[in-house]
Amino acid sequence: MHYAFMLITEAQGKALLRAAAVTTPSSHELRSLDEVRGCRVDFPVAVKAQVAAGGRGKAGGIRKANSSSELASAFDAIMAMRFAGEAPSSVLVESWLDIERELYLAVAIDSRVGGFNVLYSPRGGVNIEDGPPPLSYPVGLVRNFRAHAFRALLEPVESDTKVRERVISIARRLLEIAQANECTTVEINPLVVAKGGSLIAADAKIVLDEAAAFRKAATASAIAASRDKAERDIRSCEEANLMLVWLDGEIGLISGGAGMTMAAMDAIDGAGAQPACFLDVSGNPTPAGFGLAFDLLDRAPNVKGILVSMFGGGLHTDRVAKTLVELLAKRTSSKPVTLRLNGTRSDLATTILREAGRQNHATLEAAVLDIVRCVAGARS
Amino acid sequence: MSILLDADARVLIVGITGKFGTFSVKDLQQSHTRVVAGVAPGRGGQTIEGVPVFSSVAAAMKETHANAALVYVPAVVALDAVLETIEAGCPLIAYPGDGLPVLDAMEMRAAALDHGAHLVGPNSPGLISPGKAKLGFMPSFCYAPGPIGVISRSGSLSYEACFRLSSAGLGQTSVIGIGGDPVRGVNAAEAIGLFHDDPETRAIVYLGEIGGSEEYALAEYAKRPDAKPSAALLVGRTAPAGKKMGHAAAMIGSYAESWVAKVEALDRAGVVIARDLDGLASAGASALARAMKPAV
Repeated sequence: MHYAFMLITEAQGKALLRAAAVTTPSSHELRSLDEVRGCRVDFPVAVKAQVAAGGRGKAGGIRKANSSSELASAFDAIMAMRFAGEAPSSVLVESWLDIERELYLAVAIDSRVGGFNVLYSPRGGVNIEDGPPPLSYPVGLVRNFRAHAFRALLEPVESDTKVRERVISIARRLLEIAQANECTTVEINPLVVAKGGSLIAADAKIVLDEAAAFRKAATASAIAASRDKAERDIRSCEEANLMLVWLDGEIGLISGGAGMTMAAMDAIDGAGAQPACFLDVSGNPTPAGFGLAFDLLDRAPNVKGILVSMFGGGLHTDRVAKTLVELLAKRTSSKPVTLRLNGTRSDLATTILREAGRQNHATLEAAVLDIVRCVAGARS
Repeated sequence: MSILLDADARVLIVGITGKFGTFSVKDLQQSHTRVVAGVAPGRGGQTIEGVPVFSSVAAAMKETHANAALVYVPAVVALDAVLETIEAGCPLIAYPGDGLPVLDAMEMRAAALDHGAHLVGPNSPGLISPGKAKLGFMPSFCYAPGPIGVISRSGSLSYEACFRLSSAGLGQTSVIGIGGDPVRGVNAAEAIGLFHDDPETRAIVYLGEIGGSEEYALAEYAKRPDAKPSAALLVGRTAPAGKKMGHAAAMIGSYAESWVAKVEALDRAGVVIARDLDGLASAGASALARAMKPAV
């Protein structure tokens, strides 16, 4: 199973933070104007779109409301917005915070650490990426977190001892949240230092490990919810064990394996064209898998030609050749198709294709040049 | 020499009665690898393709003196199977499976380090020392013995890349798949260290991709005055940011994870860059040529 992102919403994330006794602003999650009218809050409030996509603040998904009428119009405006194509599921209405300072605190999986890294910056907020990189404390396994080790790293960076000690205790809780809920990222940005010195999580970005769905009911239901929201093409590919990412180009690419599919995308770019998709059929190289792949690419208006490039390792390319010959005979689309089957039993594959009047290109590069020329020729 | 896996390998297959396990016995035997034991709980006493099956890894190790294990079990039980193998004293374990929870990968890595064992995987085709032994499911015809050490994050890419290297006369000491997941056993830095210490490896070819930070380990190594020459091919130059390209770790989340940032760092460190697959064999050849030239 493959998913682009298993980011949960801020409201869901904050529920996990509160359960671990990390302070969050008092809040209401609202789904309808009726709920907005029935909501009793002290103004001003922050009104925040609930979406599983980043960059929400910069896109205008967070507004301030000073009265009931401003709250209602902010609700309407936000619910009509789309964030990276996604409609908000609700808005979160929170008491407006008196901010002394904004911090950044996160725990995230890091490949070079072989586990969790704790990240801290004394200057957090929306422009965190523009500043110097945050301090990092490589923890690895959650049970290896040591307050004294983190404190020693924090001392030169965070001079306020009260803030420092509170950050240390929240960092431990974030690691425990990540462990208990199988998260790859738990990020608070900003972690607000309020007037009086208390630390409040003003936002929450939590990414769940989708591979843990078999033993985490909450992850399984988050995946099901995101699948419901996904575009139909993506959903049908996931159900058929194909991996699809739509791109902006014109060459429909059917390939095998993540690395080789990216290599073929780069080769198309090198030949002066652009790939229309990342489509990896190695999870299901059968008549059903290839059938779905052709069906999607034949229907997509931006796809002007199709390249099938498979390198047979364990896969027998003569079987793929037979499948392709049968599929192409039944196909009604007139988009040009170029084939390249190399590796295990490719001599047989070449013969099968030749007998069906199809050429098997010897290399990826030759096949890419052929399809790029076909598409350019059809255009001129 | 080679890294981790040599002609004296005595391989044990955990999950030998499964479809993959049974296929693998024949496949390894055809690549002249000695498969000395299989493990399947409750199936002790049987044989598969002439290989004795044991009910536990400890029993199999005691009887057969296996020194390398290939673990073919589903992700749901993978942590238990790998921990059993590590704790039974097996010094080299490949776990090729994908879809493993990150927390389980972290535990596997930590247990391997605690026991001084080497774990290859998850989400990797394994490890091969061409002409000597194979501990994985990569297609053997792609490989040939020679002086290049290959490290790859992607299975499919490593098959075709090694096929091209072999066809160009650039054989390999060992080819290790470090895997496409964010937490792994042997990582890039450790694999580089192993090839650095292997006297037969003259040059390193690194097959990387967008996302994560493993490639910076090669950049750091290449800056060392005693570094062996290296070449790298990174795929995903045309991948957009914020979209996962198949592998769990192949996603650009920050500038440092992008193709441009990594290639610049490698280039600056003196790594020969192959811009695409087409340029790989010549990049490998020029790294090897540097190794053959006496230092001035």
